[in-house]
Amino acid sequence: MNKIWRVAVTEYLNTVRTKAFIIGVLALPVLICLSIGLQYLGQKNKDIRDQRFAVVDRSGALSPVIAAKAAERNEKFIVQRGPDGSTAQRAPKFIPELFEATGATGTNAEVILSERVRRKELTGFVVINTNAIAVDGSAEGDLAWFTETQSNNELPDWLERTINEEIRRLRFDQAGVDQALVRKLSRNVTVKRLGLSKVDATTGEVVKAKEANRFATFGVPVGCMFLLYMMVMSAVPALLNTVLEEKMQKISEVLLSAVTPFQLMLGKLVGATMVSFTLSALYLAGIGGLLWKLGVLNLVPPALVPWFVLFQLLSLLMFGSISLAIGAACSEIRDAQNFMFPLMMVVMLPYFVFLPIMQSPGSAFARWFSLFPPATPSLMLLRIAIPPGPPWWEIALGVVLTTLCTIACVWAGAKIFRIGILAQGQAPSFGRLFGWILSK
Amino acid sequence: MISAPDTSGRSLAVRLTNVTKTFGQHTAVNDLSLAVPNGSVYGFIGPNGSGKTTTIRMILHIFHPDRGEIEVLGERSTRAANDRIGYLPEERGLYKKMTVRRVLAYYATLKGMNHRDSREAIGHWLEKMGLAKWANHKVEALSKGMAQKIQFIAAVIAKPQLLILDEPFSGLDPVNLEVLRTAILEERQRGTTVIFSTHDMTMAEQMCDFVFMIYKGRKVLDGTLAAIQSSYGVDTVRLRVDGGGEAVRGLDGVQLIRDLGQTQEFRCAGDPQELLKALAARTRVHLFEVAKPSLHDIFIRIAAPAPEEVKHE
Repeated sequence: MNKIWRVAVTEYLNTVRTKAFIIGVLALPVLICLSIGLQYLGQKNKDIRDQRFAVVDRSGALSPVIAAKAAERNEKFIVQRGPDGSTAQRAPKFIPELFEATGATGTNAEVILSERVRRKELTGFVVINTNAIAVDGSAEGDLAWFTETQSNNELPDWLERTINEEIRRLRFDQAGVDQALVRKLSRNVTVKRLGLSKVDATTGEVVKAKEANRFATFGVPVGCMFLLYMMVMSAVPALLNTVLEEKMQKISEVLLSAVTPFQLMLGKLVGATMVSFTLSALYLAGIGGLLWKLGVLNLVPPALVPWFVLFQLLSLLMFGSISLAIGAACSEIRDAQNFMFPLMMVVMLPYFVFLPIMQSPGSAFARWFSLFPPATPSLMLLRIAIPPGPPWWEIALGVVLTTLCTIACVWAGAKIFRIGILAQGQAPSFGRLFGWILSK
Repeated sequence: MISAPDTSGRSLAVRLTNVTKTFGQHTAVNDLSLAVPNGSVYGFIGPNGSGKTTTIRMILHIFHPDRGEIEVLGERSTRAANDRIGYLPEERGLYKKMTVRRVLAYYATLKGMNHRDSREAIGHWLEKMGLAKWANHKVEALSKGMAQKIQFIAAVIAKPQLLILDEPFSGLDPVNLEVLRTAILEERQRGTTVIFSTHDMTMAEQMCDFVFMIYKGRKVLDGTLAAIQSSYGVDTVRLRVDGGGEAVRGLDGVQLIRDLGQTQEFRCAGDPQELLKALAARTRVHLFEVAKPSLHDIFIRIAAPAPEEVKHE
């Protein structure tokens, strides 16, 4: 036991003392901050140069409204006022110009304006056809936007919205319908998502259902599952690398003169588990602190933490022992990668199916998939995190099956590790690995 | 000469009794019996792939024999004695990214040493090997010779009763080789039993109390150097003559063993005096020595002979 602990501590220190670990710990928060920062920077440094565009109004009724709405927008809606009363422009001004499409210029309007767009005099131009306002006009081709920069949606979206509002107003007027009344009659009603009401056992009063929170019902389960994935991925491939490195550098033989293969393997597993728990403790503390700061920590049920720890432990032991066995059986990184591919597919399996399971966490599909031991840690954790959670017997059965599977993986991994760690030459086939598992 | 040396009356550090180890269809070690007395230096020799490393791994219980029994430091067929064994493998294994001090501390504690004792022992050995200033450097910064000395320290740091060294001198320059040889002999003086495998026959002749040779998995030599040499008779002649090896060509009953440039070794089937006369008639003789065959010669006779010359039990 002492030797297993010595191996585990050395493995742990060898990992956490490296720059790679520190970088790894900081990588996620740094990436998140960087992403937010860059988006903020992008917004702040948005191109706010004036966007000029031409309006070819063949209906003859819409261009004045476009000009008026653009002027109103430029004056009222694109300026942001700071707390100190200062103002800053946050979006480009839209500056329309009417293009008189008559005679020769009328037929060649698109060519003439396209040329101006190419010369960067205009961002683009909109063509409104004669029957755009007609109630029974064809939808296609009534309104067209021409530009070189198709990725710019802000201006065409604004045009579409503004022109449609005006067209609708004109049509209602022509039909003699009161627009205010139409707005009232066509008001949308929204669904308020609530939990369940209950009667307080002590006071006998009805406790009203609480409004569902998107963060609690979606963010917490998905966050838990992906954090678990990250913790597994931080340890499992690293285990393969360490054992392969020891084998390639002939360190294994020195170690095996002092410890049994099983002690060595278990020590490595325990060390990797300690590394992974260190990481998860740091992340959970960081995320907890952030949620507390944002005032939403109460939306995370505390009971999730022990489940997370249990499933993290089972995942690490299950996948880690297989990873160690693969590392021991191979003598080259390329061979090991061939064996690791199917393992990684199994590790990622729950992430291919979690969306339908989130939609119906109580379905037969969700139940049986979450009872498949390699997928249980991720999917059962996901289901537990989605209120009201699965029945207790499903959780218990999942834990029992996964524990049995983990024991089987550690046992089989140890059998392969024992033989593979000193084997040299070509990587064994799957058949040979099974032979090693069954050997005495 | 394959009869085991007389070890009666001496306690044994290692005893192998009819040990066989196979890998698939290949028999790596075949019915091997061996008795290594306590406090001796026992040399393992044999060509590459003959079974030396497999035998060593079985003594360390890294491999388990298919048949036979292995007793090490009084422990039968268990790893109980492994903490009392120091091991330097043929291919060196050190963590490149760890510091010298940490890697030695790790190996020492794996052998059951406590932290305080290991700290003292590391300081002592690094000082002794002239590597004290490298204690906090990473292993990857060391030269090959320095790394080999660190590996040796890792093997002896826990004061083993049995020290197994697989090719300890390979790749060492003469200065480092002498340092290591002195350290090994000091360990022996401390009472440690030393088993070492080597391809350097001169080193084996100089250092070993007993020599054991394994060839194709079978024991072909086992005993003191004197006993082994005696079993081959006094049939070797060392010569230095004008004209070198060419001057001897065509003489009856003489077979060239080794041409060392300045001197040559011959095996003489007839009377050496007749050979000397014949040589003196041909050329000027500077050196003529009748001797027992060297270990090197014996090794060559066994490992690269005509089939009928291989001696098996």
